[in-house]
Amino acid sequence: MSVLAEDYILDLQKRAERGELIYIGQSLKRIDDLEKVLGSPVYTNDLIPKNTLYAKLVLSRYPHAWIRSIKVSKATSYPGIRTVLTYMDVPGINESAAIVPDRPLFAREKVRSTGDIIAAVVAEKESRAIEARDLVEVEYDPIKPVFDPMEALSSDAPKIHENGNIAKHIRVAKGDVEKGFNDADLIVENTFRTQFQDAVPMETETAFAIPKDNDRILVIGSMQSPHNTQAGVAKVLGWPLERVEVIQAVTGGAFGPKSDETPIDVASIAAIGALKTGKPVLMSMSRKESMIAHTKRHASVIKHKTGVKSDGRLTASKVEIYLDGGAYASLGVLVIVRATFHANGPYEIPNVLNDGYKVYTNHTYAGSFRGFGAPQAIFAAESQMDEIARKLGIDPLDLRLMNMLRPGKRTSTGQLMDDSCGLPECVDAVVKSSDYRRKVAEYSSQNGKVRRGIGMAILHHGNALGPEGNDYAYVHLSVDKRGTVHLGTGLTEYGSGAISGIAQIASSVLGIPVDYFTIDRPDTDRHKESGPTVASRVTAVGGNAAREAALKLRERINAVASKLLACSPSKVKVVDGYAFSEDDPKKTVSWEEIVKEAFDANIELNVVGYYMAPRCIWDESTGLGSPYNQYTFGAAIAEVEVDTETGIYRVLNYHVAFDVGRAINPKNVIGQIYGGTVQGLGYGMMEELVHINGQVVNPNLKDYYIPTSLDIPDKLVPIIVEKRGAMGVYGAKVIAEPPIVLPAPAIRNAILNATGGSVNELPVTSEKVYKSIEH
Amino acid sequence: MSDMLIKMKVNGVEREVLIDAEDRLLDVLRDQFGFKSPKEGCGTGDCGLCTVMMDGKPILSCITPAFQARGREIVTLEGLNDDPLMKRIETSFRDHHAAQCGYCTPAMEIMGYNLLKNVKKPSKDEVKEAISGTLCRCTGYYDIVDAVYDLGGNE
Repeated sequence: MSVLAEDYILDLQKRAERGELIYIGQSLKRIDDLEKVLGSPVYTNDLIPKNTLYAKLVLSRYPHAWIRSIKVSKATSYPGIRTVLTYMDVPGINESAAIVPDRPLFAREKVRSTGDIIAAVVAEKESRAIEARDLVEVEYDPIKPVFDPMEALSSDAPKIHENGNIAKHIRVAKGDVEKGFNDADLIVENTFRTQFQDAVPMETETAFAIPKDNDRILVIGSMQSPHNTQAGVAKVLGWPLERVEVIQAVTGGAFGPKSDETPIDVASIAAIGALKTGKPVLMSMSRKESMIAHTKRHASVIKHKTGVKSDGRLTASKVEIYLDGGAYASLGVLVIVRATFHANGPYEIPNVLNDGYKVYTNHTYAGSFRGFGAPQAIFAAESQMDEIARKLGIDPLDLRLMNMLRPGKRTSTGQLMDDSCGLPECVDAVVKSSDYRRKVAEYSSQNGKVRRGIGMAILHHGNALGPEGNDYAYVHLSVDKRGTVHLGTGLTEYGSGAISGIAQIASSVLGIPVDYFTIDRPDTDRHKESGPTVASRVTAVGGNAAREAALKLRERINAVASKLLACSPSKVKVVDGYAFSEDDPKKTVSWEEIVKEAFDANIELNVVGYYMAPRCIWDESTGLGSPYNQYTFGAAIAEVEVDTETGIYRVLNYHVAFDVGRAINPKNVIGQIYGGTVQGLGYGMMEELVHINGQVVNPNLKDYYIPTSLDIPDKLVPIIVEKRGAMGVYGAKVIAEPPIVLPAPAIRNAILNATGGSVNELPVTSEKVYKSIEH
Repeated sequence: MSDMLIKMKVNGVEREVLIDAEDRLLDVLRDQFGFKSPKEGCGTGDCGLCTVMMDGKPILSCITPAFQARGREIVTLEGLNDDPLMKRIETSFRDHHAAQCGYCTPAMEIMGYNLLKNVKKPSKDEVKEAISGTLCRCTGYYDIVDAVYDLGGNE
């Protein structure tokens, strides 16, 4: 028995009243960051064995060409080169494709972009591999390329794949859009364009492979979804899954591209190289390789036609989205689904017709990236709202208040909003925080060359996978002899703190401090497949699985504790690692004592929790139904100062509120708001991966600008709103992606407010601002 | 490509190492000496993640030839983990959730350390300036700035 001070026992009793919520809503420290702040060797490239060989890529020189021949003999005989890998070396299926089987791992007869991989040179030293790759001789017969998604749709455009240039089309059709336009007093039409954005995870895609036990292979790498990588490597090797073990090393940022096809590329190339040479092989992309070869955020052309009454009521919205998909489908065939579902913004509109196309071009391919189609869709939708407000002479806030989603309203797919719709609260919070009304009045009469403006953007964001797949997860908990709880899952951590968050959930259910937890590295040999770690789903979905696991474990723990406490298991409470009976709280036993007793009695403390989100029902032909179980809502207001003579502007402050259902760890939520907002500022203000004739001309961090610490607004005010969601654990909604969506339209609208100039193309550079102003 | 034998002091210990003229200091520190805290984020001197101290000043080890370290003193984060100021920085980073993916963290901590060694109570703008050559894609910098700023003036 433990001897505890009396007031501490009183405190335990009091806290026991919160039950399994005891640590929910607390900004606990992350449990995975000690090794990070110490600079410990935990990332993929830190872990390679001494005798590892290095692989470097040969990428296509042309954006569209037939391959006449590939000759590797000169490269192979270069000093220090062990082997050169091409399609001829693929023992299984030469394919690295997420959904649509349109992308070979190594190009064979045709290249469709300059990101296509021709060969990999494997050498004892990385510098030798870099030198020798120029010696791989490839003869090409160039084909006429197509780079514009609109041109790619025309019947005489060069065919990039045999089945034509539409990778995916999806439609949302509600009501009668023509009738809606007839009912309108005003029709507003605009075309918006957005650019390719690179995710720039600070660690590039990397993996190494080690031959193991004669007939197996171990891959350790940087990735979001180890089981997807396992399946991809097994396919390329022609092996059953069981012979491939994949472990996710600590991952230095991901943001989506590391859930798409590139992690499979690097893992597969390392694996083929390791099997061919019998040595460990590291395939680590340089920044340049990564920026050319991995998936980007799709560039887009988005056409809006909106009908509105003179009082501001929306009657109809017709949206066409053309995503420049680059050469391959990737997860982009799901990106277009999310973009099309969110294309009208968070408004109730009686008549809607959205057509979304992911179009093949000869650009390097686009795919998964934080926001997953929402940043493009909401930039266009929210810019369109301010254009409408301007034409009607209504304040943009009032136009939104009149039309936006609230409990009782319906989305474009007809999904009914219940009490969990916290959009009005988010709008209210940022309007107050920014002093919006006063500032609008103040800025309406400016004359000088430097002018201020204020603008807003709002969103709904369908949670987790919804139409993108089965939304399930497993979480393993096992307690060792010392009482440490090992949390393992096929879901991964790559910076957000979400796995720390689900440990916090398990700790809360068990009543032990989160310091008792340790996170095991995700390992396909040890952890069940849990779906991809995408769509910000770890906390909401994985948290439910963690809760299920902890409830199972608690049952076993309470049974053991009840024996030690001589009470019924239903009377056992555990708080702060101490168990006591409700009826006799002065008598306590510690977690360690319970665990020891369980081991002595041979009671197994290994459990697996499982959760599957309810199925989302919607009609594929009309898009109508409820494609998501719940929504996150958000509102942002940006204030800018613009020099109208140069177009140079800066963001003075940014107020942003998100309805996250329930903040499991508020500090982590704010971390996501900060990080997503700044990545969104980059998208809105400066970032653009530029292709010229199919070549990426700025695949480096000198010419591709991401925000530095000097580019962030002095004042960023994050606000948390909590309206419980139906699906997420304890009502939690997703937060990792929504913050990246709002900065671009909010800033664009603030500049419109300041100058009267509309910039309908991202990024909003000073040059575009200058040109948008009437001089 | 002739090998050369050079001496340098790394994290307090005199070391001898055989290098090629083309070898980067970053690779020598990571591969020869096993100090993995400096990271490669770009390889072109643009991101700052390979930052280490050379004779007390931060340098970019990915664009520094290893031979330039001959006779110099190099300190990586591993060599500062027992330093009282660095310990406080590390604790502050944890308190502020300033390490998300953690890949930029060693470089950020070194830049914070270098600032606090030279400026006892920096302003937020001075902190932002000090870390402006080090890129982070996760945090939006706010928590990193606060983690360093909050230590200013505290002994």
